[in-house]
Amino acid sequence: MAEESGGVLGAADAPIVLEMRGVTKRFGPVTANDDVSLTLHRGEVLGILGENGAGKSTLMKILYGLYTPDEGEIFVDGERVEIRDPKDAVSRGVGMVHQHFTLIPPLTVAENIVLGAEPRKGLSLNLEEAVRATEELSQRYGLQVDPRARVADLSVGVRQRVEILKALYRNVRILVLDEPTAVLTPQETEDLFAVLKVLVADGLSIILITHKLGELLGVGDEITIIRDGRVVDTVKAAETNERELARLMVGREVLLRVEKEEAQTSEEVRLSAENLSVRSGTGEEAVAGVSLEVRGGEILGVAGVDGNGQTELAEALAGTRPIEGGAVYLDGEDVTRLGADALQGRGLAYVPEDRAAKGLVQDFALYENNALKTYDEPPFSRFGWIFPKIMRRRAAESLRAYDVRPADPDARAGSLSGGNQQKAVLARELSGDPGVVIAAQPTRGVDVGAIEFIHRQLLKQRSEGKAILLISLELEEIRSLSDRILVIYAGRIVGEVGPDATDEELGLLMAGHEIEEKSA
Amino acid sequence: MEDFLGAIGPILQSTVRNATPLVFAALGGLFSERSGVVNIGLEGLMLIAAFAGVAGAHFSGSALVGLGTALAAGLLFALIHALMCVTFEADQIISGTAINLLALSGTGFLMVVIFGAGGTSPRVNGFASAAIPLLSDIPIIGRALFDQSLLVYLMYVLVPVVFFVVFRTPFGLRLRATGEAPEAVDTAGVNVARMRYYGVALSGLLAACGGVYLSMGLLSAFTENMTGGRGFIALAALIFGRWNPIGAAGAALLFGFGQAVTFSVNEQAIPIEFIEMLPYLLTIIVLAGFGGRAIAPAAIGKPYRKE
Amino acid sequence: MSQEPGVTEGRGSVLGRMVTGAAGALLFPLIAILLSFIIGAVIVLATGNNPFAAYAALLEGAVGDPFALGRTLLYTTPLIFTGLAVAVAFRAGLFNIGGEGQLFLGAVTAAWLGVSLGFLGPIAIPLVLAACAITGFLWGSIPGVLKAYFGAHEVITTIMLNYVGIYLAYYLAQHPLGQKGPIPGTETIQLAARIPTISAALGRANYGFFIAIVAAVVVYVLLWRTRRGFELRAVGLSPGAANYAGMRLGLNTILALAIGGSLAGLGGGVEVLGVYGNMDVPFVTNLGFNGIGVALLGRNHPVGVILGALLFGALTSGAQEMQFATDVPLQLANVLLAVILLLVTATKLVELIVGKRARDFAAGTHLENERGL
Repeated sequence: MAEESGGVLGAADAPIVLEMRGVTKRFGPVTANDDVSLTLHRGEVLGILGENGAGKSTLMKILYGLYTPDEGEIFVDGERVEIRDPKDAVSRGVGMVHQHFTLIPPLTVAENIVLGAEPRKGLSLNLEEAVRATEELSQRYGLQVDPRARVADLSVGVRQRVEILKALYRNVRILVLDEPTAVLTPQETEDLFAVLKVLVADGLSIILITHKLGELLGVGDEITIIRDGRVVDTVKAAETNERELARLMVGREVLLRVEKEEAQTSEEVRLSAENLSVRSGTGEEAVAGVSLEVRGGEILGVAGVDGNGQTELAEALAGTRPIEGGAVYLDGEDVTRLGADALQGRGLAYVPEDRAAKGLVQDFALYENNALKTYDEPPFSRFGWIFPKIMRRRAAESLRAYDVRPADPDARAGSLSGGNQQKAVLARELSGDPGVVIAAQPTRGVDVGAIEFIHRQLLKQRSEGKAILLISLELEEIRSLSDRILVIYAGRIVGEVGPDATDEELGLLMAGHEIEEKSA
Repeated sequence: MEDFLGAIGPILQSTVRNATPLVFAALGGLFSERSGVVNIGLEGLMLIAAFAGVAGAHFSGSALVGLGTALAAGLLFALIHALMCVTFEADQIISGTAINLLALSGTGFLMVVIFGAGGTSPRVNGFASAAIPLLSDIPIIGRALFDQSLLVYLMYVLVPVVFFVVFRTPFGLRLRATGEAPEAVDTAGVNVARMRYYGVALSGLLAACGGVYLSMGLLSAFTENMTGGRGFIALAALIFGRWNPIGAAGAALLFGFGQAVTFSVNEQAIPIEFIEMLPYLLTIIVLAGFGGRAIAPAAIGKPYRKE
Repeated sequence: MSQEPGVTEGRGSVLGRMVTGAAGALLFPLIAILLSFIIGAVIVLATGNNPFAAYAALLEGAVGDPFALGRTLLYTTPLIFTGLAVAVAFRAGLFNIGGEGQLFLGAVTAAWLGVSLGFLGPIAIPLVLAACAITGFLWGSIPGVLKAYFGAHEVITTIMLNYVGIYLAYYLAQHPLGQKGPIPGTETIQLAARIPTISAALGRANYGFFIAIVAAVVVYVLLWRTRRGFELRAVGLSPGAANYAGMRLGLNTILALAIGGSLAGLGGGVEVLGVYGNMDVPFVTNLGFNGIGVALLGRNHPVGVILGALLFGALTSGAQEMQFATDVPLQLANVLLAVILLLVTATKLVELIVGKRARDFAAGTHLENERGL
């Protein structure tokens, strides 16, 4: 048994441990999975690749019993099974590591691992046994953890190990990992992949869900590509390349460059930060001494892996998060201590990354959202009173101008699609003729049509001489829109490159390699 | 000095008596809140049980039957709370407030229907004091601790038992986990709704013990609104004791001691109203001091809706 | 900067369900009322009485003649105030369970100032009521400050402050302000400085009812026609977006609870000046708690609060007639009110009865439940 090798060789000849046939899942009018079939062999790493919203997670939730499929069958070890809930899944040997961890922070690692399948000694919980079992699994698979540590005190990478151990403790033979690298540093990602190799060598089979192309080539055996809920193709990792995967995933040749005019960058610095430091909500130093300058007529892109201080940087610059140290200047004025209200009065527009919780009051009407920042200024307000009629009229104009559908000022913001919600945010932020625009993840979770619209609007602002700071996780977006690109890593700017920088250059910077190393 | 020592015994005895209903209800609240269900209905659960106990004892002539009917009533109303909060996803604060109002009006209603008038019920057989031989002969503390109602001895036993159950058993681990991160518990294959029903049901049974002690341990009759805010003091003790059985019992004893001292002081050195305020004020200070959320079970107050 | 400590958690839950969806706004309350009357009928049957006769007597006693109507208005008045006290806070995403204590402090303020300023006659009335509102405002701001700057949850602090407020009011009513008579409580305010009754036909109903209506109008205007109201509602529905827009969360939290407190305090003042003429110990109970039911039944809208208070007032009023005409104890009314409160937020129950789609329609939205303790 131990001879069974992981990796590329031999896996396809190994017995089939899991088969999903013709799985279809609908949510109302939306078909999330349409006749999806896939096959997993023993000792294999199967990659499932697809864009956000392609239906990967839905498929895996079906496998794990969190959703019931409308059609289709699942076979585990050749036997047809009904998986009604996670308990069923685990009893069939299927375990899952969710994108959002399902751990209980105040409990210890060992307690988390045995929860629901506790070792007992008489009436009581046998904690010594739990610790021992954890240590044993931890050593066997190279997953270093302290069984007695509180999960709340652990880093994200270690928490993920606990999640994997939780599944292993339940003797799963098939392990599903949903976007496991989204929250990991490059080093942690490498460690994870090393662990996966040990697991498949031990005879486990792994399904790895991701939208990152490169990763799968290194660790996967086969790759199933899903687009719009359907399986597009299944390819062998050894016989494909990033270009082909990208084409399959998005359905067109990528590198669709946005048409953009030559930059008319002015000399004048509109927004700048000097040695800025900011703490995150949990009190850690999220931004550590960032300096940057944005000039009129340019788009400055900030690239980086998620969770490297982008959120806190944007919020601090926009005045919605306290600044620990350093200074922020807007059109030459020191605005470090000013709040969002004062900044917006000085011509700063801010498209926040969390549209649902910050950009809009979901249960306000669109006209109220349109006045969310200017409700206290004429003509919307005088002497403490507000004038909803005027708010409605103005909203109707700007909603039409920004193609928000429906352009009904009385529609509840929460009833709009993501793309239209984002357009409503842009309508509010840009129609006031701001001098500086901070756009954080402006196209996250919106449809393709809206993406193009949003990109055009940002470029329009640029050609009007506005200074734009674009923060995005989407490299392609950063590259196609920006005039200069800063790379942020662990709260620091690790380098600046032009929009023509190669993947390798950007990749190294995003992994925290300083620019000096590269040029040396 | 002689006088001082002489005064301590009665004060301690009174402390234990004041604290007992609080300890029961606080332990009950602990099970509910550890499972993620706020229970501000403790007051009502105690009151209902205090009445049901007296009614049961009245018709059967037996204190034990009274205890049984009280437990049944506490359980029933706790299950109503659970049904609302867990199954129907009603707001837990609202449901708890409704349970309190229901208990107050319901017992008033039943007093008239069953005993013909409001106010105070006929006297029934209660759980009288029963001194434990030897132990009750210990100087000073002997009579205070070991010449008490049977229900007080039950309370002594329950504090360590609850501690053991909550912190040393698989059930306790699941209960605590449910109050912290129900989605994690769900994916671990444990039924969240069932754990919460258990937690709330236990809170009903324990609060019922507290209610019975009021109407059949301290007194031998039911009087309207006889809990007089003790359910909220129990809630305060629970918070003050940081959701820990030992801590909650300690806080209840502290509050009971405060009341005992006031009752024993004849002069109005401190107006009684200010002593009555004390548990509530201390709880507010504790909440403000610890930043409130940081110490409560994280998922408390939120209905859990499966995907 | 504008972000203040301790006021960052999401709000939603009842708020989301109860605030939005004006179209189906009546569904939750109607189902709760209907079910509670059915349960009430079963209880009446169990006591060996005829439910139809009991409810007929109840209706008769609530609105059957001018005197009954006046009694209904009398019971409705304080509930409008305490209902508004809950509703204003709710609109800002806060749970004000402290109406009871706020009302007591307003009442003791009125009892004290009413006697001291009694020589002014009717001129004393607005002065005393203003003082009651200020007392309630200050008392209400305490849980606001505790939440905004110390992160102490307002549900617990307002509950605890109820008892602190009640005991403080009882102390003041008996000691510094107390009369030296056999019944503990304050002296009686002279008639000229009290709120007059409306007409002899309506019995004890007084102009306090109209003061309550004016308070509801003021709350409406505040919430939907002023900057402050815009901020309060934005903070209530989405603290994240409100903070993003530069609104001060802490300030709005404090103001919402303080305004709520001032309304309950005013309610206490109107009770003393309009009904009792002094403050006895013990004083009226559960007006603050019943205000929660009134607010939820009225979906936290001032008009709804008036309607909810009228229903509660009518039930309380009619119950007296019911007890007289049948053998059903008047406490049945309070049982019904408690059952209404118990059912009025039961999302899934409504779903069970009318189907999910209608539920979503009624609730207006499918909000996640975020509010924690």
